[in-house]
Amino acid sequence: MINITIDNKLVSVPKGTNIFKAAKDNGIYIPGLCYHPKLTQYGGCRLCMVEVTERGRSRHRFSCAQPVAEGMVVKTNTPETEKYTKSVMEYLLAHHPLDCPTCDKSGECGLQEITHDLKLKPGRFKGARLDDPMRRDNPLLEYNSNRCILCSRCVKVCKEIAGVGAIDYQNRGFKTVVGTAFDKPLDCSFCGGCVSVCPTGSWQDRTLKFKARPWELKKTPTVCTYCAVGCSLVINTKDNEVMRVTADENINLGINESNLCVKGKFGHEFINSDKRVKTPLIKKGGKLRSASWDDALDHISKKFSEIIEKSGGNAIGGIGSEKCTNEDNYLFQKLCRTVLGTNYIDNISNMKSPSLNRLINNSVAYGMASTSLEGIENADTVFFVGADVSEAHPVAGSMVRKAIRVNKTKVIIANVRNVEFGCETKDLLRLNYKLGTQTALINAMIKVIVDEKLVNLKKAADKTENFSELRSFLRSSDLGIKKVSKATNIPEDSIRAAASSIAKAGNCYVICGKDIEEDPSGEETIEALMNLCALVNKGDSDKVSIVFSRQNNNSQGVNDMGVVPEFLPGYLDINDQENRAVVEESWDAKLPAVLKNSPGDIFDLAVKKKIKAIYVMGENPIVNYPNGKKVNDAFKKAEFVVVQDSFLTETAQLADVVLPSSTFAEKGGTFTNMVMTVQRLHKAIPQVGDSKPDWQIICNLAEKMGHEFDYTTSKDIVDEIGKSVPIYEGIEVNRLRRKGFHWILSLYYKTKAEKYQFEIARKKTSAKKGNTKYPFTLLTGSSLRHQGTYSRNSESLVSLASECFVEINRQDAKKAKIVDGDNVKIESAQGNIKLKAKTTGRVPEGAVFVSEDYEWVPVNNLRGDGYTNVKISKTK
Amino acid sequence: MGKRNKKVVKEEPLDLSKAEKILDKYEGVDGCLIPVLQQIQNAYGYLQEPAMNLVSERLNISVSEIIGVATFYAQFHLKPRGKHIIKVCCGTACHVKNSKNLSARIEKRFKIKKDETTEDKMFTFEEVPCVGACGIAPVVVFDKDVHGTLSPDKLDGVLDGYTK
Ligand code: SF4
Ligand code: SF4
Ligand code: SF4
Ligand code: FES
Ligand code: FES
Repeated sequence: MINITIDNKLVSVPKGTNIFKAAKDNGIYIPGLCYHPKLTQYGGCRLCMVEVTERGRSRHRFSCAQPVAEGMVVKTNTPETEKYTKSVMEYLLAHHPLDCPTCDKSGECGLQEITHDLKLKPGRFKGARLDDPMRRDNPLLEYNSNRCILCSRCVKVCKEIAGVGAIDYQNRGFKTVVGTAFDKPLDCSFCGGCVSVCPTGSWQDRTLKFKARPWELKKTPTVCTYCAVGCSLVINTKDNEVMRVTADENINLGINESNLCVKGKFGHEFINSDKRVKTPLIKKGGKLRSASWDDALDHISKKFSEIIEKSGGNAIGGIGSEKCTNEDNYLFQKLCRTVLGTNYIDNISNMKSPSLNRLINNSVAYGMASTSLEGIENADTVFFVGADVSEAHPVAGSMVRKAIRVNKTKVIIANVRNVEFGCETKDLLRLNYKLGTQTALINAMIKVIVDEKLVNLKKAADKTENFSELRSFLRSSDLGIKKVSKATNIPEDSIRAAASSIAKAGNCYVICGKDIEEDPSGEETIEALMNLCALVNKGDSDKVSIVFSRQNNNSQGVNDMGVVPEFLPGYLDINDQENRAVVEESWDAKLPAVLKNSPGDIFDLAVKKKIKAIYVMGENPIVNYPNGKKVNDAFKKAEFVVVQDSFLTETAQLADVVLPSSTFAEKGGTFTNMVMTVQRLHKAIPQVGDSKPDWQIICNLAEKMGHEFDYTTSKDIVDEIGKSVPIYEGIEVNRLRRKGFHWILSLYYKTKAEKYQFEIARKKTSAKKGNTKYPFTLLTGSSLRHQGTYSRNSESLVSLASECFVEINRQDAKKAKIVDGDNVKIESAQGNIKLKAKTTGRVPEGAVFVSEDYEWVPVNNLRGDGYTNVKISKTK
Repeated sequence: MGKRNKKVVKEEPLDLSKAEKILDKYEGVDGCLIPVLQQIQNAYGYLQEPAMNLVSERLNISVSEIIGVATFYAQFHLKPRGKHIIKVCCGTACHVKNSKNLSARIEKRFKIKKDETTEDKMFTFEEVPCVGACGIAPVVVFDKDVHGTLSPDKLDGVLDGYTK
């Protein structure tokens, strides 16, 4: 720490801090418009002049460009600095249109504030005022170059954080503006970073236009409801309606340094959408009609009781939600188990990757699971495996970009597709493997490390259970680098380079993505990945950690809360008598009897008519579940379907009763992100229409069915979770207020990591089979601009991305005479859909890619179990 | 009545092989953007979009940054230029001697504005800072020929010499 004096106040700040930040962090104001703590320093606005006295010599310095030095004495406000700053402002305002009355920034504008603070009068210069037209070439952002003071913040945020570089200074001198190349319409990731950092009214959020003035907005910090990164954001409301989302109020709020992606920033219109389900609905004569809560709950309670009486509790299946809070999900499983008496509860993420919970828990038990996502900013190596970070977890991508900027981090991307990753590093290694060869690739990397002794093998052998078994497995001839290189289609050198970067000491993050987790051979690949991590950790230093990137905001929490058939909350084996006794006692209720066979998939059982009623909370399985045909069948055959949702989704339309649930903006509770950081939500607006938070609906239903679920606020449920879910022990609302609760971290404190046992793949991965009738493989994945029901009901996102494309490799497209924009029919054995084509180099030959996140595109209708083969043809 | 077929003029795709060669030469060289742009401009006459996209891909610099650099320096051109370049000096001395009137005359005569090119791609009109011949201000430079002490009418005469 360095001690300096600023305006007679002694402050102590870390080495390398500049005077501007040191002052700001200690509550001392220095005018300045270009410096931003999350961006590289620029020193362009010239407003932050201070007087610095060192060793008896006083000089004037730009405070944002001057690092602190021991004993420095700084004066921020002297007659000289004031005179200087005033004249700089005079220059800045000489070209400025001074159109504050028509500017949405008015009231939160840096330029306006400094003008006010310095008590500026009309300047001496009557220079030409700029008069360029306002640019509106996209639905989200508009740009007024006249108001720009060329501080470069937007240019930097776009390049350094968004990794896009869509904008830069164009032209020179008086004509300099921020703009796109060749003046083209803005086509970027629309993260809104530029609007957030712009200190003037140049960049504007069009979705706020004419709706509210900044000072009218009430601000409530909460957590994003889209992906599993778990960004903190601030909901801005007026008259109980959400007007916009910001994040730049406090850079230390949450894990995202006030960065957001397009969904977090602009995807909020669903909250106050007209399409919300506002009252309960009951199906009568084939039509869903408005009903009172009482009638709806009566009806459900009666129906459920009948079914339980006739066929037992196990005839009801419950689907919990990856989007609802932990509290919602906790009560949901409690209701299903104790009130309905069923063992059949599940969630879509578990149905898609049934072994994932076990594998993640292993990674925790071995002490390899990462505890902090933002820790990636200190990584020396980041290895993405089957993870499309730019589309699926954009802000995690920004974290990696920061790591690259600060640490020169090496990034390795292993994927079937040449996925996008915006960054300006030459240190990006791509391993574009052939689908189905990913396990071989990882094993080959392990073999390189062992053969070339890149880590201390003796140490590795000592610290693990069965290193010799791994060695003999590696000797198998299929893992020779030549062979693997041929099979995977990756050059030998790249495999070697990747292996040695991971083996090299230093912080390494391995990020395993959905493409691996949901692959038919996912289990083996993940086991191989863990072997790789363990080998390096044990043979070197414990510096490799692994992150399993879940999809939705609470995909982790829904599993933690026990919305899975085999686990009680906190992954307690439901068949273990001791666990059952403890839980039964704490809940003061009976659990349903242990099932003799392993529980099957709810939809399979519904198809077989073993499950007669389905109760869905906050999910749209008709669209989200990978096997479209099966799930459609299941819902058709079910006698009684209850759906609890904020919108009339495809699934809700099939329901007998629909219960309107409140969105994340209307409730408290917690979400658990992909590294098990539990973060707290805050209610920003009252419930829309007659909707209620899911947990409250569950309490009401329980009561109707004669059970007391006595919780008044979501806090009561958090408290119970803290008491009865072992991994959440110690979670208290107060602690959550300050920082999130990291359950892995608290587990690491309490327990010692287990000795690592290498998993040796015994069965051979079945190679992907070719198919002459359906020559293409269908790849599906995430999309930056959409994610299910919420984005679909956010107008601005829809107008930005109204079309879901099928991405086809350029060569394949050429052969099939398909060009961009052609209508293409994609057909599998299960069904077909029609989409517009986009030709690309990102998808390998022989495959087509369709995003799963455009909810109105039923791509899952094409999919069965395992890989899906399709054929494509041009159509009208 | 038959529909009139509008002839769609398909732009010839740009042959990028020359640009590829230039970029190959600079593979892995840091800070090579300006020489690359200069050579591409020499090869293609001006900086065209497909070539800039290629430069972006190969040098890992965003197109907006490349065009930012290109528009900063007067030496780079994003639009095709004519066979002949007419430069009117706008330096202090020439300005005082009413070089504006010379510009106006050129705009009228060729029906183009500053930095534009006649439709037949023969003439491009530009305004430039001091060309270092203040003694004979106002000055117009036609390709490499310097003409001084001009009036609009005199300029017309000079231009007649080139156009006829
Ligand atoms: S919205 Fe984001 S990506 Fe787009 S220009 Fe602004 S900073 Fe760049
Ligand atoms: S648009 Fe805003 S952020 Fe960008 S340079 Fe201008 S004033 Fe700065
Ligand atoms: S990265 Fe994920 S959590 Fe963050 S704003 Fe985007 S969708 Fe929300
Ligand atoms: S803040 Fe220091 S120069 Fe702009
Ligand atoms: S000002 Fe025109 S030649 Fe110098």
